[in-house]
Amino acid sequence: MTQPISILLCALGGEGGGVLADWLVDVARHAGHPAQATSIPGVAQRTGATTYYLEVYPLPHSQLQGRLPVLGLNPLPGRLDALVSSELLETARQIGNGLASNDRTLVISASSRALTTAEKMTMGDGRRPEGPLLDVIAAHSQRHHVMDMASLCQQSGTMVSAVMLGGIAGSGLLPFTRSHYEAVLAGPSSSAKASLRGFALAFELVTRQREQAQYVEHVMKPAAPVAAAALPAEVGAKFPAALHPLMGLAHQRLVEYQGPAYAHLYVQRLERLLSAESNSPDSTRPVTAETTRWLALWMAFDDIIRVADLKSRASRWDRVTQEVKAKEGDVLKVYDHFKPGVPELAALLPQGLANKLLRWDRARVANGKAPWSMPLKVARHALSGMASLRVLASLRVLRPLGSRYQAEQTLIEEWLGGIETATRLSPALGLELARCGQLIKGYGSTNERGKDNLLHILRHVCGPASAVPVAEQAEAVARIRQAALQDEAGQALDQALLQHGAPARPVKAQPVLWMKNPRLQKS
Amino acid sequence: MEVSFHEEIKALRMGAGEVFHGEGILAITKGLLQSGVSYVGGYQGAPVSHLLDVMVQAKPYMDELGVHVEACSNEASAAAMLGASIHYPIRGAVTWKSIVGTNVAADALSNLSSPGVTGGVLIVVGEDYGEGASVIQERTHAYALKSGMCLLDPRPELGQMVNMVEHGFRLSEASNMPVMMELRIRACHVRGQFVAKDNQAPKLSKKHLIDEPAGFNYMRLAHPPVTFAQEKRKVEHRLPAARQYIAEQRLNEHFEGSTHRHLGLIVQGGLYNTLMRTLQQFDLADAFGVTSLSVLVLNVTYPLVPGELVNFCKDKSAVLLLEEGQPEYIEQELALMLRRLDLQTPLHGKDMLPSGGEYTAEVMAQGLLKFLDRHQADAVPEATRQWLATNGERRQQVQSLLGSPLPARPPSMCIGCPERPVFSALKLAQQDVGPVHISGDIGCHALATFEPFSVGHSILGYGMSLASRAGVSPLMKRRVLSVMGDGGFWHNGLLTGVQSALFNGDDAVLLIFKNGYTSATGTQDIINTPTDIAKELAGDKRQSMVHTNQTIESTLKGLGVQWLRTVHTYEVSHMQATLTEAFTTEFQGLKVIVAEGECQLERQRRIKPWLASLLSKGKRVERVKYGVDEDVCNGDHACIRLSGCPTLTLKDNPDPLKVDPVATVIDGCVGCGLCGENAHAATLCPSFYRAEVVQNPKLHERLWARWQGLATRWLQPA
Repeated sequence: MTQPISILLCALGGEGGGVLADWLVDVARHAGHPAQATSIPGVAQRTGATTYYLEVYPLPHSQLQGRLPVLGLNPLPGRLDALVSSELLETARQIGNGLASNDRTLVISASSRALTTAEKMTMGDGRRPEGPLLDVIAAHSQRHHVMDMASLCQQSGTMVSAVMLGGIAGSGLLPFTRSHYEAVLAGPSSSAKASLRGFALAFELVTRQREQAQYVEHVMKPAAPVAAAALPAEVGAKFPAALHPLMGLAHQRLVEYQGPAYAHLYVQRLERLLSAESNSPDSTRPVTAETTRWLALWMAFDDIIRVADLKSRASRWDRVTQEVKAKEGDVLKVYDHFKPGVPELAALLPQGLANKLLRWDRARVANGKAPWSMPLKVARHALSGMASLRVLASLRVLRPLGSRYQAEQTLIEEWLGGIETATRLSPALGLELARCGQLIKGYGSTNERGKDNLLHILRHVCGPASAVPVAEQAEAVARIRQAALQDEAGQALDQALLQHGAPARPVKAQPVLWMKNPRLQKS
Repeated sequence: MEVSFHEEIKALRMGAGEVFHGEGILAITKGLLQSGVSYVGGYQGAPVSHLLDVMVQAKPYMDELGVHVEACSNEASAAAMLGASIHYPIRGAVTWKSIVGTNVAADALSNLSSPGVTGGVLIVVGEDYGEGASVIQERTHAYALKSGMCLLDPRPELGQMVNMVEHGFRLSEASNMPVMMELRIRACHVRGQFVAKDNQAPKLSKKHLIDEPAGFNYMRLAHPPVTFAQEKRKVEHRLPAARQYIAEQRLNEHFEGSTHRHLGLIVQGGLYNTLMRTLQQFDLADAFGVTSLSVLVLNVTYPLVPGELVNFCKDKSAVLLLEEGQPEYIEQELALMLRRLDLQTPLHGKDMLPSGGEYTAEVMAQGLLKFLDRHQADAVPEATRQWLATNGERRQQVQSLLGSPLPARPPSMCIGCPERPVFSALKLAQQDVGPVHISGDIGCHALATFEPFSVGHSILGYGMSLASRAGVSPLMKRRVLSVMGDGGFWHNGLLTGVQSALFNGDDAVLLIFKNGYTSATGTQDIINTPTDIAKELAGDKRQSMVHTNQTIESTLKGLGVQWLRTVHTYEVSHMQATLTEAFTTEFQGLKVIVAEGECQLERQRRIKPWLASLLSKGKRVERVKYGVDEDVCNGDHACIRLSGCPTLTLKDNPDPLKVDPVATVIDGCVGCGLCGENAHAATLCPSFYRAEVVQNPKLHERLWARWQGLATRWLQPA
């Protein structure tokens, strides 16, 4: 018995999924076939995920003797003929709803991701790995075409809807010829021409894939940048070869950040760990290897000087020009948003002066005022803005005199000392403490929070004062570190600390805003 | 309006024999004109917004026909409009989203149903039930039952839907009952075709006015003592008349089965197509609706015609009733009919089908499998059993491949939405004053209940946020914030919220989003929408125009609001300070913050053609985009937790030393400025920049830029 061909289209709001459904109905109409489409838009058009459902009858009206098929409004799980989607995670979601099956369903999906808010807002890397999503498509489709629709759109200057139509047409799913589809897209406007270009690219790609029976396009991703910087030979000789690429980068970064002497300090620090680890049976020296990255990043801590340097580089100007697609003949103005406060300025001053400045600001806050800060929009394109950035960047030579520099070195030493002691005691614990270097990043309060968390782990989870049994410390540190990366307020961290028998973090002093409430005073 | 209905308006003019192609709800609209409707009203809401939107945009054609179209301020005012048909032989139609809208309209509907109507009345409701619905469990059916209105539930085929519109008016006139037509979401948006008829210009209309008002007739008032007489008429006259019309005109369709004609299926019209797809999976129907089992399609689900149902059931060995939603009103009534006549035909329904939720083909198939297993087990092909069994297995397999559930992707505020900055400011203000109880409302701002804001303790109804605080705020130490859109304010909030708070002298904080439109339903105009003249006169079309219409402010002042602040939403620091002030001020009465910023969808509709025309003339155009410096970004993503803008996303860290992905601004950024405002207000990392690209710059501008370029290049390192 002939049944309608059923297609589920998945798109994100604003991508033209509705237009695509209309096109398909029109194609069917022009080819003389019964077809019906429906959708559940609601507010999903506001960038959420939504679906469109279509049924096309495989026989034309001319063969139906005036009878009309009854077409459905809902997709049937496992009996869907095609699932066409503009986003990889949404493809997997619909397959997870049970819609696609490997005895029936053709899956045409974009390989690219539009990240969900939940993935984006995580403090570290919350992105869903793509491997399992692709595995799901492979396991639950009769055949599939996974392609980089985003780049096809870019090449042709059109919306993803035209590309999806090309994919459907190229797959041979529907009993229509290429000219049927193109007739619907055609028009005099430039957007119609772009649609036709996008359609053609996807049509040809899918046709080629069918001919070669090769269904996942191997998207050419730029190879991971190879460490260009060579490590000085005498340094390299001291460390296992596996560490050289990363150390080379780190070394170069620190020379650029503060000078060769500072880079040498980095090497010395790593050597200490290497010797602490020398008795370990593991010849890959995991503790040193883990520390390589985090130590370099901590030593090259971000401050105003570093930011001013990065922002004033020529390479950065070129990057921005490209990103905003400024063309020849356009005038480009770039304003950098800065808001230095007292801590940022104090960081550059020697300890004594810094303390005075900080005390002044604390007094301001105690009087109910906001902490002092200066919101700036620095005009990078203008001489004045550029000059001030360069002046700031040139403060590099004075950096070691600043209070922040001193404070960071003390903390780094405490961390390294902790790793060293721990490694001699148990290499596993040393490794976990080294991994805690991940907690240190960013500016201002983010940076402060990271340092507080790391110190708390160093002082309360391991070390002589710890209440956690030594045998459990390595695992405790690992769990607590992961918890520290979960939320800004540190609720997960406190919970994890208590779970492992360590004290929660001390409550921080915070200015209190009193609200008068006469209802409370009446009684 | 966000959408232009140019093509659809052309389709409304179609004459006899022409083939209409389009959406279900537009076919219904065409059906109204074919029925000679005199007046149309309604309140927007998915999935029926297009009905009214098209009619509003088609004003010149409606004037030609003499049809009056009114965009009502809420569903109650739309329902009250139908009062015109009580005395006069004029046909009227109104539309809204049910069940929420029907709840709002309930008072007028009761008082309309009691005296009954002279002219035909059709209420087209979008039955927002199941997937994606806000109030998922309630049925419009209950209103038809309690008020005594007919309820149509047509088979979702355009020809049949239009046919039922025409019958609906005649049914209403034959029975004096108001008639409701319920359309499920997928039926409203179904794209199909039907052969049009000529439109009928109404006999009484804006072009042919009623000469004299009707004479006084107490029977037309829903007022004692005549209400009992009206009640009697409902039972003794109107319902029988309706049943007679339904039976005579064969509004319900009976399809005799072939092989298994002794088994009967009774189905609501709206579910017919899904039932056919289900039967096809059992090889019990072909693609054209020819079935092995007998099927009775109820295109009218209230009132039921006992004769029809009993005739259908009496020679069946078993009957399955497919009725979506609960309680099972039809099933109860049918069971009673059979019991009274002592008919022993086994009746199945909710014993084999779930009581709640949408009846998709899979759900129906599972019910049908139980039914057939009981009464005709040999009619179930093995492949069908297997199909139903493997669906669950497949879902589990995917789940185990994926590990954990996939992150949801709910809708979010548009790129450049003026409401997003307010929630950033609210998040920051709470860092100073502590967490506050936030009573939310319906509208785009309800999208702030999703990540990254996760804001809002309750949503009690449209325009109800201020009213729903009245029990909380007197018992709460800190002040409570009520958030409302201007749409909600005019729909209901002004009276239930503002007036009540003022009258009771409540200590309350209200934030009104003044974006100029009811945006969530498709940016329909309201009383504080900026006028076309104001938009025309603006030199820079990019600026928000909502400040040009002060209706909200003058209304609030007129009512006696003493603490009133207007803040542009994009001034995050200012908004943060204003919120903090409202939460902490000594002033004890109602405090209102008007958050001003025009709906981005409307602004873009104005800006795009304007900029395109400037560019085509070679004139100077300035374009703004924000960006993140990848080598400065710290990978903490605090900016995303404070914004959630779709164009602010992540990419791999280009620095091989760092591991966390960095923030990036992708194409589509409209340069709204929130990134920069947040960077300052929240002291985010210094990685944000604002880029202004000047196309077709003036000569002096170009020369100056070239000079600056030379100078900065001299200073910059590689």
